[in-house]
Amino acid sequence: MITLLKYEIYRRWKWLVIRYAALIILGLIFFNRASASPMQYNIIAESMGKFFLISIVVFAIIIIEGINMLKEDLFEQSGYLTFTIPRKGRTILFSKLTLLFLQLSIWTIISIGFGSMFFSKFPYQEISRITAQIDFSFYPTILFILTAFFNFVLMVHLSLTLTKTLLVNKKYSSLLSIGIFFLLAYLIENFYYGPFLNQIKYAYIEIGTSSASNIDLLSGGYTAVFLNIILTIIFFTATAYLLENKINI
Amino acid sequence: MEFNNCSPIYLQIIDSIKQDVVVGKLKTGQKMPSVRELAGKIKVNPNTIQRVYQELEREKITFTKRGMGTYLTDEEKIIKLLEEEISDKIIQEFINGMNKLGFSNDKIIGILQEYL
Amino acid sequence: MEYILTTKQLSKYFYQKKALEKVDINIEKGKIYGILGPNGGGKSTLLKLAAGLLKPSGGEITIDNKNPGVYTKSIVSYLPETNYFYKWMRIKDALNFFNDLYIDFDMENAGKSIEFMKLEEKEKITNLSKGMLGRLKLALALSRNAKLYLLDEPLNGIDPVSREKIITSILDAFNKKSTIIICSHLIYYIEKLLDYIFFLSEGQIILEGETENLRNERRISIDKLYQEVFQ
Repeated sequence: MITLLKYEIYRRWKWLVIRYAALIILGLIFFNRASASPMQYNIIAESMGKFFLISIVVFAIIIIEGINMLKEDLFEQSGYLTFTIPRKGRTILFSKLTLLFLQLSIWTIISIGFGSMFFSKFPYQEISRITAQIDFSFYPTILFILTAFFNFVLMVHLSLTLTKTLLVNKKYSSLLSIGIFFLLAYLIENFYYGPFLNQIKYAYIEIGTSSASNIDLLSGGYTAVFLNIILTIIFFTATAYLLENKINI
Repeated sequence: MEFNNCSPIYLQIIDSIKQDVVVGKLKTGQKMPSVRELAGKIKVNPNTIQRVYQELEREKITFTKRGMGTYLTDEEKIIKLLEEEISDKIIQEFINGMNKLGFSNDKIIGILQEYL
Repeated sequence: MEYILTTKQLSKYFYQKKALEKVDINIEKGKIYGILGPNGGGKSTLLKLAAGLLKPSGGEITIDNKNPGVYTKSIVSYLPETNYFYKWMRIKDALNFFNDLYIDFDMENAGKSIEFMKLEEKEKITNLSKGMLGRLKLALALSRNAKLYLLDEPLNGIDPVSREKIITSILDAFNKKSTIIICSHLIYYIEKLLDYIFFLSEGQIILEGETENLRNERRISIDKLYQEVFQ
């Protein structure tokens, strides 16, 4: 696994360095601007907003790259190399997901780091007022979002892999992958998260909170994160099994 | 050595080696190239060369010295036999060819006498 | 008899197409086999099944008595028809990759092969011509000490000089402990290398036999025989 991870990193190391260096450097530049104008909250907010946009772009790049890591090997000729090396499907998949995980972690640390730095430029009362309104539990939400995106990539991987077990030519594979993806999304929404959301609704109603009407996954707290992790394991196991035993390259 | 692919290659190689022996291209008692060497030289499957050497050994044209390789025989008797075998073959082919053209055996003798 | 590769009623279907139909093959160790036939006849499919890239639709295939999997991939050296290198690699990276992932890879030998094939380690894969790629693939595939070599059309798109080098390399790599299977429709150049041949067409074996016996019986070259059989 380490060997494969080494090559996944080695092949794109320049891009990785540029990506995070740019994020950090731009973060510093924008933070500098924010610091240079204390109490001018519109400038501070603008700098923060710009940094936020850039970090979203980097996040999107990480996610798309994460998807392509497997997509290439399944649908390009490089698959002939990847799937004839003496490694199990789960090892190949795990090495790619490890890089994705590492990148998400680095991204999170940098973004939250700069995020806190920007927030510290706002007066404390302002921040408390905002967070109180949103009813926002920070860490579970962040974790939930991260695990949700990780699962998104894995779900795409599973769709692509399923496609590759059913079709060998490239012709209708995009269509089929998209179809399978939405099918999985539907199934998970209704049969996996669905029951869970209902449970939360009942719990809130019982406690007598008025916010029972707009319960979503973000109010699920650590339990929702736990559900995501279970889902990760399910997706990983299924994809690894298919990669090892069922795909036709 | 040039071979065609229309008849068993191992037989062609054996014939070629026999001819080389008779003609003197291969010296009696000479060390033969190893299976791999010969295979690489004439671009032929080593198993084929193996078969060649087995056959040559069977006909006592070569012998193997344990741990040292394969050598051409230096027994006069065997070389003589080879000479006969090859000349017989050539003569037989000649006669067959001439017969095919319509020459009877008597006519062949006459022509030869004139020619030589 | 120890077989390195066996198939029993092996079938592979793609939609309407029967790529292989109940094929039975036994491959003995220490020999060079040729699987010959027209394009689309099933040769590549058979090799891909042995390499573990395709899964059988029916029947079975075993290598060294094991189903295709991690173990068989470690003892099989597969040379595909396509350019399967990662686009970001230089030749040097490809060598290191093979060295890192295959225990039986001979790095020293590979370096010599690369030189022999007139290739340079610092070249980018994307800059290589078709001929150079063919030579590189072969240099890597034969630098492994595998039990089974599967060469799919190793001579395609290769110029005459490189062709001779490739044939020489194949002969050098061959030993009694390994087995080589070559798929090709350029029979003229490789038939001297083959111990045994299969003619595979439309997913079935229509003829097989020891090369020398076939020459003896039919008094023609395998090349001519192929032309006769496939008109």
